[in-house]
Amino acid sequence: MLVIKCPVCGVEGEEGDFHAGGQAHIARPASSNPENISDIEQSDYLFMRHNPKGLHFERWRCDRGCGKWFHAARDTVTLEFKGYYAINELPPVELMEQAKGYWAEHFASAIKSSKRPKS
Amino acid sequence: MSDPQHETALAGLAGQTNTDGLAIEMSEITGRGMIDLRGNLADRKFSQAAKKVLGVDLPKAPRTSASKGDLVVLRLSVDQWLITCAGGKTAKLLDDLNKVLVGVHSLAVDLSDARAIIRLKGNGVREIVMKGAPVDMLAPEMIKGAVRRLRFGELAAMVHIVDDRPDTFDLYVFRSYADFAWDWLAQTAAKPAAVRLFGRQDSPAV
Repeated sequence: MLVIKCPVCGVEGEEGDFHAGGQAHIARPASSNPENISDIEQSDYLFMRHNPKGLHFERWRCDRGCGKWFHAARDTVTLEFKGYYAINELPPVELMEQAKGYWAEHFASAIKSSKRPKS
Repeated sequence: MSDPQHETALAGLAGQTNTDGLAIEMSEITGRGMIDLRGNLADRKFSQAAKKVLGVDLPKAPRTSASKGDLVVLRLSVDQWLITCAGGKTAKLLDDLNKVLVGVHSLAVDLSDARAIIRLKGNGVREIVMKGAPVDMLAPEMIKGAVRRLRFGELAAMVHIVDDRPDTFDLYVFRSYADFAWDWLAQTAAKPAAVRLFGRQDSPAV
């Protein structure tokens, strides 16, 4: 059983009170002309998901509470939730740095830009 | 011509149930008007307009409510409130709300018939609710005025603690599930079905 805490309303509950929304941070292939998107790219966007062993980033909804979507970082081995963040945000930097494999590549540029001194 | 007839969700059922063997008092609350209000609380125009009509500030803290006389405002979400009032006043209240909210990004809709309200009263109400929902009803935040949306016996439901001395809870469920909730409660609240959460539990009679 997963114990989840909604970062929006602060309610803590078991997974039945929440709705799993699958992998987070999936970006639609961007183009001004849909004809330029190859079938491979489009099918990857629609169907291909990662199933890492370890730290994973997911979308969840506070289904029987405030009804809002949020992001969560979960360890798929221990089922422990490592952190929560808003639906329009990237994970906290320390979590992005812990990510491995696909997620490390995915967040590489975001980590780099967060390290850049702000002018 | 036949005229539409308004029946409450539990009109037949609530009268038929024999409540003698129940550990708590159960009844259907009828004749309440319910208005669903949505808007951005950070928008001062919205919060002030709502206060002007309702007479109270919209509750901001999660799982709380506010009331003034007969009018109760339950906080459902960061941008959603359920206003309950006497049934006869609903149309005027909705009209007043819509007038002051002109030009403000918001929504006020009469949902009086969407939900049914079951009132549970007496010692042991918290334990009975906990049988159906994975929620700690004995937590310190579960005091008079608290509002908690929950999964109750597989239903999407909401509990409003009207009073805590003695415990008086209003259970809001969608109208079409009201008979299921009522039957579930009528069985679960039976005296022999009582659970003791603390101390020694009697062994079951075999």
